[in-house]
Amino acid sequence: MNDVFLPHVARIVEVWDDTPDTKTFTLSLRDSKDFRFLPGQFLEVSVFGYGEAPFCIASSPTRPDTLQATVRRTGQLTDALHELGNGDEVGIRGPFGNGFDVEGARGKDLLFVGGGIGLPPLRSFIWNVLYERDHFGKVTILYGARTPTDLVYKDELKAWAKRSDVEFHVTVDRAEPGWTGNVGMVPVLFEKTALRPDSTLAYVCGPPIMIKFVVQDLFVRGFKDEAVISTLERMMQCGIGKCNHCAIGHRYVCRDGPVFNYKQIRELVE
Amino acid sequence: MQPIVYTIEKPDIAKWLERLLETAEVIAPVAGYSGEVVFSAISSPAQVLWDFENPLHPAKQFVLPQTDPIVAIKRNGQRHEVEPIYDDSRRVLFNVRSCDVKGIAFLTRMQEMEPADGSYLRRAYSLTVISLTCNTPCPLGFCVCTDSGPFLNGDYDIQLTDLGGKYLAEVGSEKGEAAVSNAANLFRTATEGEVSLRKRLETAARNRFGQETCHFASAMRRISTGRVQDALWEKISDWCLECGGCSLICPTCYCFSVRDRARDGNWIRYRIWDSCQYTAFTLEASGHNPHEQRKDRIKRRFFHKVSAQYYMRDGTVGCVGCGRCIKVCLGTADMPAVVAAIRKGKWHE
Amino acid sequence: MLTVPTTCPFCACGCGFYLLANKGELVGVAPSETHPVSRGRLCARGWGAHEAPLWGTRLREPLVKRNGRLEPVSWAEALDHVTGRIKGLIEAGKSVGVLGSPRATNEENYLAGKLARAGLETNDVDFSYHSICRPLLAGLEEVTGEYGCSISLDDIELSETIVLIEGDLAKTHPRAAFSVMKAVEKGARLAAIGYARTQMARLSSLYLQTVPGGEGEVINGLLAGVLHASLEDRTSATAHCEGYEALRRDLTAVKATKEMHRAAEWIARAERATFLIPPTSAQGDQLRKDAAAFVTLAAITGHLGRPGSGLLMLLGRSNVRGACDMGVAPDRLPGYQPFYDGRAQQRLQGLWGKKLPSAQGLDAESLLQSVSGLIVLADDPPSVLPMRQQALAAMERMEYIVVLDAFVTPTVRAAHVALPIASFAETEGTLTSMEGRVQRVRAITDPPGEARTGWQVLAELCARFEVSASYSSATDVLREIAQAAPRYAGIGQQMLEEGWGGTLDEDFDTGKRVLHAAGVTAQTSPERPHLLAWDGVFDWGRDPLISFSPTLSRDYQSQRKLFPHGFVEMCPQDADELGMRPGWQVKLTSLRGAAVVPIQVRTDLTPGVLLVPYAFREHVAKVLGVERLTAVKAERA
Repeated sequence: MNDVFLPHVARIVEVWDDTPDTKTFTLSLRDSKDFRFLPGQFLEVSVFGYGEAPFCIASSPTRPDTLQATVRRTGQLTDALHELGNGDEVGIRGPFGNGFDVEGARGKDLLFVGGGIGLPPLRSFIWNVLYERDHFGKVTILYGARTPTDLVYKDELKAWAKRSDVEFHVTVDRAEPGWTGNVGMVPVLFEKTALRPDSTLAYVCGPPIMIKFVVQDLFVRGFKDEAVISTLERMMQCGIGKCNHCAIGHRYVCRDGPVFNYKQIRELVE
Repeated sequence: MQPIVYTIEKPDIAKWLERLLETAEVIAPVAGYSGEVVFSAISSPAQVLWDFENPLHPAKQFVLPQTDPIVAIKRNGQRHEVEPIYDDSRRVLFNVRSCDVKGIAFLTRMQEMEPADGSYLRRAYSLTVISLTCNTPCPLGFCVCTDSGPFLNGDYDIQLTDLGGKYLAEVGSEKGEAAVSNAANLFRTATEGEVSLRKRLETAARNRFGQETCHFASAMRRISTGRVQDALWEKISDWCLECGGCSLICPTCYCFSVRDRARDGNWIRYRIWDSCQYTAFTLEASGHNPHEQRKDRIKRRFFHKVSAQYYMRDGTVGCVGCGRCIKVCLGTADMPAVVAAIRKGKWHE
Repeated sequence: MLTVPTTCPFCACGCGFYLLANKGELVGVAPSETHPVSRGRLCARGWGAHEAPLWGTRLREPLVKRNGRLEPVSWAEALDHVTGRIKGLIEAGKSVGVLGSPRATNEENYLAGKLARAGLETNDVDFSYHSICRPLLAGLEEVTGEYGCSISLDDIELSETIVLIEGDLAKTHPRAAFSVMKAVEKGARLAAIGYARTQMARLSSLYLQTVPGGEGEVINGLLAGVLHASLEDRTSATAHCEGYEALRRDLTAVKATKEMHRAAEWIARAERATFLIPPTSAQGDQLRKDAAAFVTLAAITGHLGRPGSGLLMLLGRSNVRGACDMGVAPDRLPGYQPFYDGRAQQRLQGLWGKKLPSAQGLDAESLLQSVSGLIVLADDPPSVLPMRQQALAAMERMEYIVVLDAFVTPTVRAAHVALPIASFAETEGTLTSMEGRVQRVRAITDPPGEARTGWQVLAELCARFEVSASYSSATDVLREIAQAAPRYAGIGQQMLEEGWGGTLDEDFDTGKRVLHAAGVTAQTSPERPHLLAWDGVFDWGRDPLISFSPTLSRDYQSQRKLFPHGFVEMCPQDADELGMRPGWQVKLTSLRGAAVVPIQVRTDLTPGVLLVPYAFREHVAKVLGVERLTAVKAERA
């Protein structure tokens, strides 16, 4: 028997603004240090007095001493979280979910396609890959957001763009003054890069509508169902497959997911 | 364990209950306000009802309360301490019906699945379930269709059967054995005649259900293979007023949400009953709602209850045939009605 | 575990259930099979009733505003403050008004009325929701001289024909919708008059589609359908009704459609027919006429006064009926007697030992604009009154506002003094349902913090204004109510103690009917082809759990978050014609002004109709002006 609902207390050690409504919080466990996780797994973050909400871990598992979560203001709990700063405490439970299969990706070419606030889980994986760069093939990162303001991790995007061991492209739906880069939805970036569907695993995260278009495009370009991997977003409350909020058929996104390939997604019974 | 079977004379029941009251809170069906049968903690054996229709509010509230404190969050300036809240006080649930026994056993199996939920299990393991078989089935029950009554072969701690002047007491667990040995002088080993009388009563009770039963099997085949038309769900959804009563009242439903509440400058985190029939149940922070339409929520509910996928996982359908949803449905979409609709592919025609 | 029977505080159906408490804390709701209205069936709000007192933002201690901030003080200090300042205003010749509430008990409302009339010597007493339902009650009274109802919810279930003016019954009054549903299941014919193909409209045998404010036109069509085919009940129409010939004359030119003829036939031929009407989005006077015509339809077909047949006003809050009965109205005394009624005045003067004010008072909307001081009992004008901004501005201007409430509402924030009172789960008292059932609410836990029961605080205030008010329990207050409002004398104390409550006698059998046709107003024009109206479902509407906020709310806060600029709803055809998708901005222009709001697409809506949820009405305030619905031009912004 476990105290499955008992959170660990964590301290906020750093906060930065990503966009006007999005912040990234760096958390450090206050009482215990051993916290192993996989990219793609998520945390239930308690803002004391407001309850819990799920956030995917945005930092790399190769740096397990701190955890990062990127949070957009969408409701009471995230409003309250945004009011917190260095030294403030939150609760965390987890890690939950299956996470990305990092081992299975070794030796493969990797294509990361992110949209808006969907980049954080990919970022965890991307940094994991970059820390162990030699173990993976070609790495391509495509990222899009509504406007330049809505891009998260702006400094890191610049760093990725400069790296020679990563192919990186970014686009926005609507340009703003000073933007000289690509304009258009994420799939326009497929024109900028040579895809090798047979040797590549594609990881797609973002808003449902963006995922839909990107995935369609990938299949047209010859990707197999098993090679297209995404995370499903559901209202996850308990993280352990008991509260039933995130059920799809008899699968639970919090436990059987949130990472699924398209073969698995097609088998889900809504 | 191999059931051990005792008998206890009716006049001795009160003495036994007094014994039980010495060491535990005893909850039983009693006559409540305006004569209504409700589960309540008793202070005297005379309060316990023996001839009653099952209370509408299910016994699951004693293992899974509607509002259940699970974590205490204490704050001291910036610093927070969190502690689990347990309720492992000893309780006896007395004279519950077979359907509720099955319901509690079902919930316990769900919470025992890894990772096991200690908060639930501590309470459930401290509860002794003493049931009373239904010699006369209740008017709306269909427990024979779900293998959860009117008599059970397990899942109880003690199962009582009214044999006339005495009760047969089948002990099904160590907790049950403890409840008997606590008052061992009141019990004697049952005779073969008494055991066979119980068998005859069971057969008689089963026969009273008649032919009209709930056909889960054919409904299961259809729903598990996606052969229920969307249009049917849509039709059914017009006969539902989204009260959530069916799931709140269901002995096997355990959907919940978690919320904090301030108390004395600190917070208590509660687990509260929720229903998959409410729009907000699947509403994500982004505003996206995969089950925005009621027909999808109803489909979801019955998939969880009746599909082969869940049957394989849970070993049973998610229904104990208690008939409560028929009584609380603020609409006409109760379990037997929807199962019939799935089976026939038709609704209200 | 403590189990206490109580009455649902949300809509006016009057369901009952048990509240459950453990160690002094509310923990849940259990249904009751023996309750005569709900019989074990509750809606989502009923099932979640314990959440309101538990999770609502509660007032916990008396607060006095200092330097713009509400600060905790002792009860003695708060009450001294109130007494001193209110008396000061009155001595300075300034007027002070009182607002009661359909969320408060009969006892609280009665004492609020007594405080106003006997203590402050004014008839300026009303409640905000009255401005929404008053025309409905007036229309009924105009025809029958009564204002209650002539059937119970159970009668609906046995009807052969049901005529429903549809707002969205399934959401506003789920218990009533259940009765309609059961009747339809048994084969009853349901004629639904509405502007959206809602759940009830989908269940109907006949959906008489119209636009907001167009209900009267359909009612006239039904009346014409009855009269043109000579389907009226001759005896009823001639012997018991006045204005029969005039009605015939008024309707000669009105054409009934084929559907209306059919519905008219169903109504006339039915042994038992029920007529259901909620407050619609029609303008006040129009709504009064619509209601009168609707009652007329029941009267001329012989369904008024016939057992099992008749009319039900679908009131939106639990105790609208009670607030009216208690005389929380500028022109009515307890018992809903006109304020100038000599016998009622005499009775009250004897009871209260004070001379009653003689001038008619102001209704909630006018009162807000004119008084200098205000005592508010659990009312929230900015949330309830049509003109949110005006109400807020009026309160801003006011010299002194005292609010008694269990919850922190916008009105509490605007108050100079806030007095915390018990919620329905912490107080004793009665509520009167739309059926006329007087039922008890009972305390199951203590009020939070320093909060006291509302009747105690009001009795204390009465005493401070030299009005006799020594009660040792809420039941004492009810005893006095029985003397003040004779109809309540029949509510035996015994019934209240042992059963689920008593029922008021309604007298619909003998009264003279005065027949009326509905007036009809033309709305749209080629320049302004769309019709903008509030959603007939007041408050939040869409999700049953978020209606009636802030007293019951799971997610209404996040809803506001999701739609910070509000929205109007339109049907897919209209959206296509404008080339718009959900979330895009539409510019609405009326004769009064313009506003830009996002749209949402709603498939069941009548083309040409734009609906704004009541809570978002402020976003189109410039377009609506003082109107409740208006013709607009809609274009992509």
